[in-house]
Amino acid sequence: MEDERSFSDICGGRLALQRRYYSPSCREFCLSCPRLSLRSLTAVTCTVWLAAYGLFTLCENSMILSAAIFITLLGLLGYLHFVKIDQETLLIIDSLGIQMTSSYASGKESTTFIEMGKVKDIVINEAIYMQKVIYYLCILLKDPVEPHGISQVVPVFQSAKPRLDCLIEVYRSCQEILAHQKATSTSP
Amino acid sequence: MAYKGEGGHGQPPSATLSQVSPGSLYTRRTHTHYICMASDFFYPNMGGVESHIYQLPQCLIGRGDKVIIVIHAYGNRKGIHYLTNDLKVYYVPLKVMYNQSMAMTLFHSLPLLKYIFVQERVTIIHSHSSFSAMAHDVLFHAKTMGLQTVLTDHPLSGFAKVHSVLTNKLLTVSLCDTSRIICVSYTSKENTVLRAALITEIVSVIPNAVDPTDFTPDPFRRHDSITIVVSRLVYRKGTNLKYSDLNFIIGGEGPKRIILQEVPERYQLHDRVHLLGALEHKNVRNVLVQGHIFLNTSLTEAFCMVIMEAASCGLQVVSTRVGGIPEVNVVERTEKVYDQVSVESVLPMDKQLDRLISHSGPVTGYIFALLAVFNFLFLIFLRWMAPDSIIDTGIDATGPRGAWTHKCSHSKRGGENIKISKTR
Repeated sequence: MEDERSFSDICGGRLALQRRYYSPSCREFCLSCPRLSLRSLTAVTCTVWLAAYGLFTLCENSMILSAAIFITLLGLLGYLHFVKIDQETLLIIDSLGIQMTSSYASGKESTTFIEMGKVKDIVINEAIYMQKVIYYLCILLKDPVEPHGISQVVPVFQSAKPRLDCLIEVYRSCQEILAHQKATSTSP
Repeated sequence: MAYKGEGGHGQPPSATLSQVSPGSLYTRRTHTHYICMASDFFYPNMGGVESHIYQLPQCLIGRGDKVIIVIHAYGNRKGIHYLTNDLKVYYVPLKVMYNQSMAMTLFHSLPLLKYIFVQERVTIIHSHSSFSAMAHDVLFHAKTMGLQTVLTDHPLSGFAKVHSVLTNKLLTVSLCDTSRIICVSYTSKENTVLRAALITEIVSVIPNAVDPTDFTPDPFRRHDSITIVVSRLVYRKGTNLKYSDLNFIIGGEGPKRIILQEVPERYQLHDRVHLLGALEHKNVRNVLVQGHIFLNTSLTEAFCMVIMEAASCGLQVVSTRVGGIPEVNVVERTEKVYDQVSVESVLPMDKQLDRLISHSGPVTGYIFALLAVFNFLFLIFLRWMAPDSIIDTGIDATGPRGAWTHKCSHSKRGGENIKISKTR
């Protein structure tokens, strides 16, 4: 079963949340970030080229202009491959664990898996981030030494940064699965 | 007796101290206030101002108001922390200067503070301590954003020295369009009105209270003629030991401790004078009940909390003639101030500038009017960059309808975890 809803992120951009319910114990959430817009690409390119032209008029060296073109191209490729994330996916399987996948604009994918034995809880936390106060979803990992302690906090959807309404949807679904998992693990 | 600037019925004079235990009443209020307390002085620092800023919101939450606290970060303590009764404290990571007070750097705190005020739907800003730079910053930004402002002034200050002149001038500018000012005693009110050239009608007097359940006498441990002195051993507190026939227990730490230690050594009084060193606040009661008389030697004091604590423990109090009289019902009176403030309308920008220029003198007035205009333009820019519609409404955790006590079907487990946040 699959459904899609649209939300917004903390900067006002549009996000699309796709939810897939494979079974009562396995769910996937796929958050699509807005694609690289032509407007911002043009703006950055124009700024770099204007700065290079300004330097050229000062130095009278045409290498600066070719260097500017080269830097723009390399910068764009690097941005698409290392920085721009198009889609973030959270797959939660009851008995197995939680998998987070980030798909970059160049096609690269990076995956992190956390086994269910290490997961203490999934919560919505609040933090001060870059002159804003944002809500974010995070996975709390158990501390092997201390039974009630937390060893690590792993934030989810870090580059999409959805707002609270989207986080609450994902949170409720995850809590259903965690409750289901705790019920089945404690029963003999 | 009716107190000036308070309105309503007068309080009967009473020697008993009021109960200020939080959470004891969830009274139905017609009007819930959304209050932000702002200061530089808070936990983990300990002191009179700090405990006032802690106790007052606890009582206000108990009465159904929504309160948050905004402080600057202390070392590693940054981000959002929750205290007793889910009181939310924002330790904002803004640059700190010497001795935990920030320089008045005005503009760089506006984006984050504006975000916090919009998210928490704050209507009244209550700043504490005129010596706190964060308090003045927050007042300034609140006026730009059109929120009501209240300042509670705590200590006394002189007039003569140069730094006094400058701080008094800053105070005049800061307070000239603040809606209400609260002082902790009549002496403090006179002092503040003179320092900042205020209209006395907007100044209320609400002295601090002490929780009498924390400070009870001990009927079994009463030795004869033991005098207790508990204070910070600095010049201002006036602790110079004189040779006499009494036994002394002296608690507290400070620069004058070395001088005090010399006296028992010179006069061989080790068995009669005990210096205890720094005392934690929770141990003060146990020290107080060991004695019979409490000696307060302050040279300047706006309101001496420890006199009330000693009286509550059943000691006779001997004090220098400074300070105010203990009174009752702090929270109700503070709420009356909030009620009065919330029905008034905030001055629009042009009237604020007029008042700044006319009230603060030619030079300072124009400088601060210019800063106010820049601040307003910056605010408009911020509202264009991050409009109020994209700011989430803060989840409210306090009170009987708080988010974490709600019986949601699957969110109980999430709510029970301790939420400690880190700044990114």
